[in-house]
Amino acid sequence: MPSPESASPVVTVQQLLQELPHLWRGREHGTLITVRSSFEELDRTLPGGGWPLGTLVELVPHCDGIGELSLALPALKTITRAGRQIALVRPPYVPYAPAFRRADLPLGRLVWVAAANDHEGLWAAEQLLRGGAGAVLLWSTDADDRHLRRLQLAAESSQALAFIYRPLPSLRHASPAGLRMELEPRDGLLRLKVLKVRGGHPCEFLLSLPPGGNRQ
Amino acid sequence: MLWMALFLPNLPLEREPAPTNLPCAVVNRRRGRRIVLACNTSAHAAGIETGIDAVTALAREPTLRLIERSPSREARALAGLANWALQFSAEVCLDASRWLLWMEVGGSTRYFGSLPALTGRIEESIAALGFTAHSGVAPTLEGAAILAREARSGIALDRPALLERLGPGELGLLALDPEVVAALRATGLRTIAEALALPAAALARRFGPEVPLYLRQLTGELPDPRPRHRAPDRYRRDHDCTCPIATVEGLLFPLRRLLQELEGFLRGRDLALQHLTVTLQHRGAARTMLHVRTSSPQREAVRLFALLRERLERTVLPEAVTGIRLAADELLAPAIRQGDFFDQDARPNEDWTVLLDRLRARLGETAVRRLGLADDHRPERAWVLDGTTADPPFSDDYPDRPLWFLEAKPIERLPALCGKPERIEAGWWAGEDSSRDYYLARTPEGARWWLYRDVRTSRWYLQGIWS
Repeated sequence: MPSPESASPVVTVQQLLQELPHLWRGREHGTLITVRSSFEELDRTLPGGGWPLGTLVELVPHCDGIGELSLALPALKTITRAGRQIALVRPPYVPYAPAFRRADLPLGRLVWVAAANDHEGLWAAEQLLRGGAGAVLLWSTDADDRHLRRLQLAAESSQALAFIYRPLPSLRHASPAGLRMELEPRDGLLRLKVLKVRGGHPCEFLLSLPPGGNRQ
Repeated sequence: MLWMALFLPNLPLEREPAPTNLPCAVVNRRRGRRIVLACNTSAHAAGIETGIDAVTALAREPTLRLIERSPSREARALAGLANWALQFSAEVCLDASRWLLWMEVGGSTRYFGSLPALTGRIEESIAALGFTAHSGVAPTLEGAAILAREARSGIALDRPALLERLGPGELGLLALDPEVVAALRATGLRTIAEALALPAAALARRFGPEVPLYLRQLTGELPDPRPRHRAPDRYRRDHDCTCPIATVEGLLFPLRRLLQELEGFLRGRDLALQHLTVTLQHRGAARTMLHVRTSSPQREAVRLFALLRERLERTVLPEAVTGIRLAADELLAPAIRQGDFFDQDARPNEDWTVLLDRLRARLGETAVRRLGLADDHRPERAWVLDGTTADPPFSDDYPDRPLWFLEAKPIERLPALCGKPERIEAGWWAGEDSSRDYYLARTPEGARWWLYRDVRTSRWYLQGIWS
């Protein structure tokens, strides 16, 4: 039996987990940190009872204006209440201050990063995740697998809500995101299709969002 | 009063951060000959010494680079250093022609703990700036200067100690005209003590009143009222590059020193800045301007350097840089008092601010935005960029608004409207009379739009998307 001092190539699982914080643990969902989405069906479906923190959440809406951002608002409110900052990176339109205020988000905790191109948006999102943001919402059209992996690693190093909004064609490729959802409008409701969820099972259901939009 | 003098024997060379490791020397023209005034270590290793002439020097080291002396640039470098010195003492004097800088350290000793702690900090800090400096501490300016020039760090805490240190010193150490020193020697004097023993009236008759005045100020018998270096209200620092700098990497070295000087200056006045302009001069092209803006007042060289570096990495130099100017017009109270100590609670916000500054430095000044509300009924005027005012209290009767806002865009095909319109009339007092009916609409794809009909023209516009 080798003495503990000798240079042994044997590495324990615990050591590995300590050295490689991004190593995925089989029972990880047992210690999952989540923030409630405040949509009952969704919280019931998601492992840990809400949006997972510290993993990339990929949302693929069929078009703009179907409630894709309203979906995040209650969680964002919870995060700002905890004194943390929120960043919207390269959103497709101007984030309208009166609407965010109506959703009871303190504007002082909201940052709009208007990156000039997709590449800079991805860079900024990664910096923000690594720099202690409470939530980072990124809109990206060109992110490839490599970018997504980088973002996933940045998300894992954080305790942040990390959303990436991507266009419909991206569904043709697999994604390293911990949670992946397709969003589709259906008869005035929002159909949520959970395509991939770490520690859970794919499923789909309908959500009703408030008619105008944003009151929670 | 207790003065610390810093003598900078290599100022002619070190006035700019080492342009090169290759042997180089600064030469001074004297009676038609060019004499080496200072040289760097690699020149020294090749046998170059101060005092030899340029021809001899070149014979010893053919690759030696000769730089003409520039007293005006030395003066500028020393003034920059005087700004830096203000962080240690409120009273700073300088003499550019003698490469001397003084700080009153008696008053600052308690703040820094002890005299050795203070002088140690000063020596470390000036070495970090890339200057060779010898120091001396004495109760008089000229006394400290002599102790510093002896090239040993001499400390004399009071007048008797100073006289004891100076007494056996050679006459050449006195800051007197060489002709006066020669004349004193000719009368058989050897040491400073002997010169000090001469009657003042006799010295004045022979050499003029300046000589006994100097000696009495040296010993502290007479006060030495010298103009103090005054910090400018705005910051300007010009730096000339002897060898034009062609690469961004090459600029980092001088910029780091300039920012350290700036930090010293800001600390000395307990000020900070939010906007720093760095202008790079080129010989044949328009100058390059770089702006560093921070969201809270800053003064730490490390932070400013990191921001500037981001800027520089995205800058293409049109041509080699021949000069650098740092300018800050508005100096503010620092965001964090008491040096770098702040409590744990403040820390995350501070880090966040630093992060946003980094994003700004790379993505552009206007890329990182803060939203605010404005008190106006017109939807396009109800918000502002970079709102810094506090949010109005949350109220339930705040009207429902879309999360995405668009510049009003005329639409041709009208989607299905839902519900009753909201009439918004405003602007009549500003001559921008408008009356609009706002509707929620649903497109065939299922998207929800915010539309309005201009009541006067009956035209339809898209202004928002309910996301």
